[in-house]
Amino acid sequence: MKRKERSEIALEGETKGIEAIGLPQAAERKSLRDAGVRLALSDLLWIAQAGLVAFVLGTILDQLHVGEAIQAADLSGFVLMCAVAIAGVACLRSWLQFSGLNEARRTAILIRQRTRKELLGAATQSSPVASFPSSGAFAAHVSEQVDLLGPYYSNFHPQFARLKLVPIGILIATLCYSWMAGLILIICGPLIPVFMALIGMRAKAASERQQEELTRLSGLLLDRVRGLETLTLFGAVGRTKADVAEAGERFRTGTMRVLKIAFLSSTVLELFSALGIAFSAVYVGFSLLGDLQIGTWGAPLGYTSGLFILLLAPEFFAPLRAYAAAYHDRAAGLAAREKLTALSRKIDNGASEAPVPVGDGAVDQFWLARPVSVCFQNVTVSLGERAVFEGLDISIEPGETVFLEGPSGSGKTTLLDCLLGFHRPCEGKVVIGEMDASACVQTLRQGVMWLGQAPRLFHGSVKANLLRAVQDPDQTSDDALWVALRLAGAADLVRRLPHGLSTQIGEDGFGLSVGEIRRVALARAALRQGAGLFLADEPTAGLDEETAGDVIEGLKSLSANRTAIIATHDPRLLALPGRRIDVGQLSGAFRKEAVS
Amino acid sequence: MKAILQTILSQHRHDPLYFWLGILVAIVPAAAGILLLGVSGWFITAAAIAGLAGTFLNIFAPSAIIRGLAIGRTAGRYGERVLTHEATFRFLTKLRNNLFGAFANGNAVRSRTGLVLNRFTRDIAALDTIYLRLAVPLVLVTVVSLCLLVVWGLVSAAVLSVGAIFLGLWLAIALTAVRNADRKNARRADAAADAMVLRAADLAAGRRDLAIYGGLEQAASAVTGAGERLNSAEDGLQQRSLRLVSLSSLTGQIFLAAMLVVCALVALSGDMSVSLAVGLVLVAIAVPELMAQILPGLSNLPRTALSARRTRSILDKDVSARSDVSSHRVEEALAANAPVLRFADVSFRYPGAERKVIDHLSFKMTAGEVLAIAGRSGCGKSTVAALAARLRLPDAGKVTLNGMDLSAMPEADLRQSVTVISQRPYLFNDTVAANLRIANPAAGEEQLWTALEQARLAQRLASSPDGLQTVLGEGGLGLSGGEQRRLALARAFLTQPDVFILDEMTEGLDAETAADVLARFMDFRGASAVLMIAHKQLELQSADRVFQLPGGATAQKTP
Repeated sequence: MKRKERSEIALEGETKGIEAIGLPQAAERKSLRDAGVRLALSDLLWIAQAGLVAFVLGTILDQLHVGEAIQAADLSGFVLMCAVAIAGVACLRSWLQFSGLNEARRTAILIRQRTRKELLGAATQSSPVASFPSSGAFAAHVSEQVDLLGPYYSNFHPQFARLKLVPIGILIATLCYSWMAGLILIICGPLIPVFMALIGMRAKAASERQQEELTRLSGLLLDRVRGLETLTLFGAVGRTKADVAEAGERFRTGTMRVLKIAFLSSTVLELFSALGIAFSAVYVGFSLLGDLQIGTWGAPLGYTSGLFILLLAPEFFAPLRAYAAAYHDRAAGLAAREKLTALSRKIDNGASEAPVPVGDGAVDQFWLARPVSVCFQNVTVSLGERAVFEGLDISIEPGETVFLEGPSGSGKTTLLDCLLGFHRPCEGKVVIGEMDASACVQTLRQGVMWLGQAPRLFHGSVKANLLRAVQDPDQTSDDALWVALRLAGAADLVRRLPHGLSTQIGEDGFGLSVGEIRRVALARAALRQGAGLFLADEPTAGLDEETAGDVIEGLKSLSANRTAIIATHDPRLLALPGRRIDVGQLSGAFRKEAVS
Repeated sequence: MKAILQTILSQHRHDPLYFWLGILVAIVPAAAGILLLGVSGWFITAAAIAGLAGTFLNIFAPSAIIRGLAIGRTAGRYGERVLTHEATFRFLTKLRNNLFGAFANGNAVRSRTGLVLNRFTRDIAALDTIYLRLAVPLVLVTVVSLCLLVVWGLVSAAVLSVGAIFLGLWLAIALTAVRNADRKNARRADAAADAMVLRAADLAAGRRDLAIYGGLEQAASAVTGAGERLNSAEDGLQQRSLRLVSLSSLTGQIFLAAMLVVCALVALSGDMSVSLAVGLVLVAIAVPELMAQILPGLSNLPRTALSARRTRSILDKDVSARSDVSSHRVEEALAANAPVLRFADVSFRYPGAERKVIDHLSFKMTAGEVLAIAGRSGCGKSTVAALAARLRLPDAGKVTLNGMDLSAMPEADLRQSVTVISQRPYLFNDTVAANLRIANPAAGEEQLWTALEQARLAQRLASSPDGLQTVLGEGGLGLSGGEQRRLALARAFLTQPDVFILDEMTEGLDAETAADVLARFMDFRGASAVLMIAHKQLELQSADRVFQLPGGATAQKTP
């Protein structure tokens, strides 16, 4: 019951998940709001401080120019006390500010962390054979795009509360003393968003274009640097330098054009906030001179209240300025969220093609440790619209060696993928050692000896790559690794590497040739000595004759004592003892497609 | 720190006019902002006193000044932003060009993977903060502080000392930010960000392999782990910068309280007019905002410093690479009847490798000859190609082209004489035409189509609506592996070299395509000699002569 509940929640989260990726959850939204309120309170406490300052200065003016004489000593005591009060409020304000910003920043980190987890969760759920974004794009989304959410939530979101609370608070305080001063603020304040919106709309479109331009520019630079060898070989480096310089120059002028518009909108903001302060000062000054008698609730404006109004004016505009300053974070954050949603939708589409069953239930752990039988029972497989196999029946005895032959595109790889649960048959089932393959996917994948068509090695040392095959890397000796490497005909090539087993392999198996990667991958497979099932997909493709000979020797010994299924069209391999199945004949719906 | 200084200096050298203009103009809005509050305070106080006493006050000058300052602050802010950004972008454009030049000149590039390159683009972007967030605010704050000190000094010693104490406090905060910069967390953050990108790329790329060897979940948790390390490092950095911000804002408010006390007392004692006192108190309100401008730049200092150092290290390498090349310039007379390509006792060892790949290799090629270099994988066939194309320089011995020492040949001549068709041709994320014209920028449309025709790719492209303007790569036309090879072949067909070097040209192509590609190439080559790195029977058969390289895996087999 409990389990069911949880899975329902997970399901619900999933359907929402794609649209809600990068969005704060209720609790996070609340703490962002709290953070904003704390910042707003910190701003509003300025009213108290401004009041104290005005009070002190007003008292002194009275003392010196009106002649309500108080003892000088009393007065300095009074000034000090007010200063201490200001300092006390300062501590409170700083604490509120610190805790508000801290809360916002922590929440932003949490959101980033959660978003990243959701994205990766989707990536693990999606079948390995389903279409997936390119590695560069995926990496950029997981790192940079998720990071862009940070400033959006920590800097921009709290500004909402500030924008709502602070100007109103200041306005009310001002209105208490003069409706005229309040009117000045009301007129200057709300006009700002109007003008900013007018200019901002143009700026937004332009800056989006510019952002794309920047992406294109750094893409161009990367692309040209990656292909530098090709450029060198064709003597095109000088020309490309000119291209890069020209693109950079174009980008610079374009950016400046956009920025000038963007700066214009913040200039409008500056102008109104400066004018607001100036008008307040002039209004207060003229009132105090006695030239202006309007704008108050009856009694003429006193010096203290006039000064108080002037002190409040800049703070009225401060949240607006902060909002505008964080606007860039908003644009970047929203764009990032859109991109993340698009990415997870793309991944999710892949996932729905071939859902991965989770949880194996009770599988005997020795189930795959002896040669197993493999049966395809009335299996129908479709890739998208195209039915690759219909009603397929194959039966393979334990310990048998079977070669799947047929031209490329005939479905050899699809058959192997079915065994591993990467594809799920729409009809019929695949049975491995009396177990339904779909019920024991995890155990199967962790125990099978497998060599893919385009094997891939990962960042890290050769040793780390090999050890991916075993469950307990600490228990595996280097000797065992060398045995596997010799079996795969890869011992010499590893010995030749600058640091042997510890040599670091870069992305795309950087530093190794295609044939070398394949042999190291075969050694990785060979480390699963306990496996009763061996699957290999075109293991000799792209190898020179001697190397292929080594690999075939390795395949021969790996096929002994276990069930082996090898997809190939290499005659040397097909010459080995074993049953041959022509997949091209099996796949009824197969049409020969353009193969280049 | 040193790298940051160097970057600032090189920006200064690049365009001193804009560098100083930006800073000078930045002073206008800062000063106007402070004066606006100060003059306003002074004005209303003077007005109040005049109103009370019924005396005359010239109101037009101060109110004009106030409006002038308001407009000055606004216009100044606009000018400052435009000028400082202009200065920065001019510099960054130049920096980007220099970096590309450094990559092009240095040999460092082959050891750099795409992800490392990715970091460099981010580093360049990070460098724009050096001028905008560090240089400008620091100069600005210094200038304004000095002006304030002068004004306070003219007014009263007490005000000066209070002002000096608080400016000193801000200086202390700034120095703490620099001295206690969290370099460790900055490095951790950068390393974690890199690790995250690497692991995420792994997770996206070899998904079948991962599912079986290691598991997708584990790969995902490696990414999450790196993400958490990044978060914790950034948490540390952010907390530190937040503390600085709060400390600075607290200092600002206490500064106001202190200024209030000292101005009130001085005014009470009669040494200063009340209007001036109020003006000074209001100036004290405007100062903290200005001081806070230096904080973002300072708290980001450790990460910016790392970016600056990485960038400088590439540019510095560039200098050494350049001097390297120039020392090789030794002209040699062109010998008549010299072999097209000759290896004379050439040896080569990869940096870091234990043994030589090429050991005392000698051979000759005559004009128009097709020579195949055969041998086991790992015996150095591809190295021979790299040496012949001067992608590598021999450790000992000499490679000559038409009798000229290869290492002394001008780049342009060399590239005209030798065309390489490699195992992994690089196609640029650009139009088909641009990709082809890399080989020959002057080639007309007709020539391009002929080359495509010869490579049997014309039909495929003619069916694409954009034809030669079709964009290749991500989001563009996806070419299959075979088609990519054909395009690379078409590109080579636009050149007319003395020697073609084929590095396993048909590797990874099916037999039919391989035969076709090879036949087309042989038809095209004309009188050019061909150095063919090969292991396929098909290729060896088409050669005039096969040269068996010794070494390789079998020969090196040790018990």
